[in-house]
Amino acid sequence: MLGLTKTRSYLYLLTALFLLIFPFVYESRTLLILLTQVFIFAMFAMSYDLLLGYTGIVSFGHAMFFGIGAYTIGIFMKSFEPSIFYLILASIVTVLLTGIISFFIGLLTLRLKSHFYAMLTLAFSGLFLVLAEKWRTLTYGNDGFTFRVPDLLKDRTDFYLISLVLMLLIFLGLRRFIQSPLGRVVQAIRENEQRTESLGYNVLHYKIIASVVSGVIAGIAGMLYSISLRFVNTSVFSIDITLDALLMTIIGGVGTLIGAVIGSGIIEFAHHWLTEMAKTHWIFERWIIFFGIIYILAVMFFPQGIVGTVKNLKFKKKDRSQNTQA
Amino acid sequence: MDVFFNLTLNGLATGMLIFLLAAGLTLIFGLMDVLNFAHGGLFAWGAYSGIWIYSSTGSFLIGMIGAVATGFLLGWLTEKWIIKPVYGNHVQQILITLGLMLVLSELLKVVWGPNQISASPPDVLKGSWEVAGIVIIKYRVFIIAVGLLMFFVVQYILKNTKIGLVVRAGVMNKEMVQALGINIQKVFMFVFMAGAGMAALGGILLGPYSGVIHAEMGMEFAILAFIVVVIGGMGSFPGSILAAILVGLSGSFMAYYVPDLSLAVNMLLMAVVLIFRPQGLFGLKG
Amino acid sequence: MVHLRLHQIETYIGQYHILQGISFEAKKGEVTVLLGRNGAGKTTTLRTIMGLNPASKGIVEFNGEEIQGYPTYTIAQKGIGYVPEDQGIFAQLTVEENMKVAIKKDNAATQEKLDYILNLFPDLKKFWKRQGGLLSGGQKQMLSMARSFINDNQLLLIDEPSKGLAPIMVEKVMESIMQMKEQTTIVLVEQNFMMASTIGDYFYIIDDGKTVHNGTMDVLKEDEEMRRKYLGIS
Repeated sequence: MLGLTKTRSYLYLLTALFLLIFPFVYESRTLLILLTQVFIFAMFAMSYDLLLGYTGIVSFGHAMFFGIGAYTIGIFMKSFEPSIFYLILASIVTVLLTGIISFFIGLLTLRLKSHFYAMLTLAFSGLFLVLAEKWRTLTYGNDGFTFRVPDLLKDRTDFYLISLVLMLLIFLGLRRFIQSPLGRVVQAIRENEQRTESLGYNVLHYKIIASVVSGVIAGIAGMLYSISLRFVNTSVFSIDITLDALLMTIIGGVGTLIGAVIGSGIIEFAHHWLTEMAKTHWIFERWIIFFGIIYILAVMFFPQGIVGTVKNLKFKKKDRSQNTQA
Repeated sequence: MDVFFNLTLNGLATGMLIFLLAAGLTLIFGLMDVLNFAHGGLFAWGAYSGIWIYSSTGSFLIGMIGAVATGFLLGWLTEKWIIKPVYGNHVQQILITLGLMLVLSELLKVVWGPNQISASPPDVLKGSWEVAGIVIIKYRVFIIAVGLLMFFVVQYILKNTKIGLVVRAGVMNKEMVQALGINIQKVFMFVFMAGAGMAALGGILLGPYSGVIHAEMGMEFAILAFIVVVIGGMGSFPGSILAAILVGLSGSFMAYYVPDLSLAVNMLLMAVVLIFRPQGLFGLKG
Repeated sequence: MVHLRLHQIETYIGQYHILQGISFEAKKGEVTVLLGRNGAGKTTTLRTIMGLNPASKGIVEFNGEEIQGYPTYTIAQKGIGYVPEDQGIFAQLTVEENMKVAIKKDNAATQEKLDYILNLFPDLKKFWKRQGGLLSGGQKQMLSMARSFINDNQLLLIDEPSKGLAPIMVEKVMESIMQMKEQTTIVLVEQNFMMASTIGDYFYIIDDGKTVHNGTMDVLKEDEEMRRKYLGIS
């Protein structure tokens, strides 16, 4: 149903259970918060992998949807009251906004060459950043604003569990999507767009669907992000956020979905430790260069990332043993 | 009147800076089918290295030459080690050049620190003239002059030299150029380095114009350059200067009259062009 | 004397196995014609020789030297000219500029050759300053051939020069090729059998990516059955 081997399914199940029990067996506030961030960015990276790894679309504006989610929840919590009702309302608005915007941007630009889409999403993302900076009455500009969250989400452990469950749901949901007929067409587009088109599929239609699903999930991740911080400012629209998604997806493994989760883990943990080390050695402040270089090398030599390379090795081994048997 | 004139001058100057960045981008794309997302990084490096050399030597001219040399060097390294290995694969190319942009921007902070650096024009270009009651800022005129000079120099090379002819032919049909016995790789390198040099020049010129340089300036101007390349047409050199002037002027006037909308107006222009004429106003490729 | 030799050439385009075993020889000073149905692999064969679609297996030998695997520009520099199916004219460049791209050395010898070519293709002289894209189909063909001829190329690969041309233009193209044949070896891909049989010396038939038959042109002119089988004509 999900297209996973038995061993992998068990591995994932075990890991998920471990993560669920974790906060009850080991006490560490830092680790709890860090893992929550990993889950949130895993969702964000997975949504990006859907676009890049499965549909073959390079977007440089993913921060746009992340930021929309982050600000929507913040604005609702601040302007109204931090209750469950407004939380749900904000969620609905986020889904609608990200869905509509990704739909229109997709409609406008997905029919063009990949370069155009990348450029345009970059530019649109920049536009949203400027918008957030200028619309001070709503967003308080660069400084941003803090807000209170509903009691349900106040407890760190509860929030950890909610994020984990959401991440698992999204992972399962996306895997279902990919295995579905719709998902297969989307992958066919990544493999050979012209051929898929000549087979009679309306390629634009499918690309837009992938783009909308991706945008909405990114928006949800953004919402969770700002809830976790109880704070939002223009940084949620910055290119750094999009770059995070890129790094996580590529280093973890494009087109594998689990790669995005692993990539998120690697980047977030590295960020945490390197920032700690930066307090003593200044060079670590520029830790991102290190990842930038790994990223470049990954794109050049290991386009499939960590997970993909492991998969290939296993595949090669299997191939060889099959050949010797034959 | 004074205001109008100065807005125009301002817009033209900004336009020239964007042109220096966009010209390289468009030619590189037209010839090599590569959209260099790291171009803004070359711009920023030109600014930093140029201003540093200027402040170390006291000569703005040497600073400019230094900036261009930095551009050439970085352009050479980029084409050889980053672009060439992934040539032919659009997705890899787009991803890798953005990664390079990130590394370049961060390296700037490593070398020169994360803070802004101030820059001012050399004494000979400081201040302004007063003509018929209108105040004309000298440095802005200088930028416009340099930009126009670059335009004419490149245009001359394109129209009157063998290499320029080969570049123009290559934009139209790369394969045929090779079938005529010309090593297109060398031409690629030439164009990439030239584009990088121009970007770097734009960078150092921006320094004294805006008064400060910071690591993010590369990305900011790169976005404008992308807009210009789309509007002017991918691969069209004349398109790049016309669109750059258009974007520069509209930005300048918008910034004065309706400041919050200036970027939005340029984006709108780009969107309109994409809907109705995706190959741009003068473009050859879509 | 064998000028060009292909042996068991296989070429893939993406995952498609287009050429599955092409072998032929082109003798010096002759016009060797590659015949076959649409999609048989004739154009790909020429492109493989030029290195535009490199072969995955097999040998391409020119003047006794193996050239498969070399980059296109090196192959061109060895003295092979290519006139592609779509003529490959630089549309926004003038006729003069199109020729200039091809010219290696700007000296007296080249000038002489240019004069010779302009006499062969007088229209080009007439439209010297006109943009290549504005020329008629026949004129574009002339320009493409002239361009391949201006250097001292000893071998010309010409892909369907008569395609889409009016009969009178086809005549002109034939005349020009006959003239060029005096100085170069020609490998011609042509669907127009009348033209192929008039100017061709030797033929190879390509079917489904393989060379299946060959012989002198006289033989093919007699053999109606073979023509119908492989070329769909009689």
